[in-house]
Amino acid sequence: MDFDGLSVDQAPPIWAPLTFFLTAPLFAILAGFLILFSDAATLTSRYSMQTIAITHAVTIGFLSFVMFGALMQMLPVLAGVKITKVTIISKISYILLATGTLCMIFGLWFNIATLLLSASALLGVGFLTIIISMLIALRNVINFTASIRAMITALIFALFITFMGVHLLASYGVGNFSASHLLLANIHSVWAIFGFAGVLIIGVAFHILPMFYVAPKFKRFCKQKVAWLISTGLLLWLLLNLFFDSYAVVAKIWIATFFWAFATTVYIKLNARRRKVSDITIWYWRSAAIFMTLGTFSWVIDDFFNEKYIVLVSIFIGGGFIFSIMSGMLYKIVPFLIWFHLNAKGYMSIPTMNEMINKKLAKAQFMLFIVSLIGFIFSFFVPYLLPLFALSFITSMLILEYNIVIAALIYLKTIKTKPDFDMSMFAMKVEN
Amino acid sequence: MSTIKEYLSADHGHCDELFASMEDAVTKDIGSAKASYEEFAKRTERHFQMEERIMFLEFEQKTGMTQGPTAMMRHEHTQMRNLISDMGKAIDAKDKDKFFGISETLMILMQQHNMKEEQMLYIMAQQHLSAESERIIDMMRSMIVQ
Repeated sequence: MDFDGLSVDQAPPIWAPLTFFLTAPLFAILAGFLILFSDAATLTSRYSMQTIAITHAVTIGFLSFVMFGALMQMLPVLAGVKITKVTIISKISYILLATGTLCMIFGLWFNIATLLLSASALLGVGFLTIIISMLIALRNVINFTASIRAMITALIFALFITFMGVHLLASYGVGNFSASHLLLANIHSVWAIFGFAGVLIIGVAFHILPMFYVAPKFKRFCKQKVAWLISTGLLLWLLLNLFFDSYAVVAKIWIATFFWAFATTVYIKLNARRRKVSDITIWYWRSAAIFMTLGTFSWVIDDFFNEKYIVLVSIFIGGGFIFSIMSGMLYKIVPFLIWFHLNAKGYMSIPTMNEMINKKLAKAQFMLFIVSLIGFIFSFFVPYLLPLFALSFITSMLILEYNIVIAALIYLKTIKTKPDFDMSMFAMKVEN
Repeated sequence: MSTIKEYLSADHGHCDELFASMEDAVTKDIGSAKASYEEFAKRTERHFQMEERIMFLEFEQKTGMTQGPTAMMRHEHTQMRNLISDMGKAIDAKDKDKFFGISETLMILMQQHNMKEEQMLYIMAQQHLSAESERIIDMMRSMIVQ
């Protein structure tokens, strides 16, 4: 048996997910600079062009890049399926999404119609390519677990979010807005946060928390029903928004309750975990749980203030919850990926995961990130503070990028130097 | 009577518990953590052998697939054995950083491996070997580690 064949067979080539991971913090850095150069007062409105540009630098550029990179890596392990022609699919979608996101950000920032229309097409095709490839791969699943059902649900939400996003962005491009533009934008964002990111995170957490931290398993009810209940809540919320606007808060409470319950459960499970070792990923899970709790409550309460504080809600949920978890994931997945691929190539003396990531820098990065989040919330009320926290956010993201680039360089260096214990020449046949 | 899947999945859980205890022991005092390490290493080796010497063989015989999933699992067992042995050396050298670097890698590798087994291989095994499952579990239970 071929060692390389084996690793390639079960996992995508290292650069397929790694390019997504290495690019993600760069978009976050860009978002930081945009915050730095924008007018704080403009950012208090969710529908200003600047706010939309910054939001998508974070949501598409950082969050979706980490999520799709991770999905590419996890499908073979969690679902036992692989994406056909994964190298080409990942390259095409990467190029389309990266250029599309840049076109979108600058198109909105400088109000350039051509860029906006290009962005709409590039992002549309880019997302559809990767989402549909994953859904096709998932048709071959033999054993449908709760996590796989959650993944499929999240990807179906992603399809709708993409279609809505393409339409919304094209509207900016042609400068012609339908009567339902704002409603559609609202559905797009709520489904993206709760239907795609939220359901995906919950689905993966069912597996990851008990396994990696030896935490108590999630209850059967939780695993079987939560993704379904949240989806029902999101559909109900859509129908109420369309037909009985004044009752939409009922569905909001429904959705918020499950996410709040999830956040609390995560916190309890982490406290009860058997594996007491505490690392940066645990800190990120904890901060995610706390911010999600604040986020769900403020989302519901905001309804009674005519959505005046929706920007704060999105900082709590998008920044505090989703962003935290994705950053934590990068710290786990990137060094492991590198170790895994070097090991599969037959290299024997590989640095350990801890040697790839500087723990002190990772902690500093986490602290700066949390300070920035809290700072952004303060800046909502005291706008002149915003540039200070934009700078701390940029620093935090620079450190995050540095931390994972160092790990990637270790991979390249090891491949280049071929250490003494290189076993790759023996990697042709294995006796069973 | 438990199925092959239930029996071996539960054994993964026991190994995880021992892994956590071993890490606890190293955190407290790496100098006296060897016993916990041995307990984890022995239990895990027993698990590997239950699969390699009994379940995988039965599966391969029944299905004729010797180069399929079981070959991949055997390869991963080798990777994990290497890491477990490196962890032992780190404990002997009282090198905590090295130990936790390896233990973290082992944990992820082990969990990836367990997921593949529990969600694919054990289910396939259960489908092909359900009639013999009682006999196979008995053999695994009474196996003497080599």
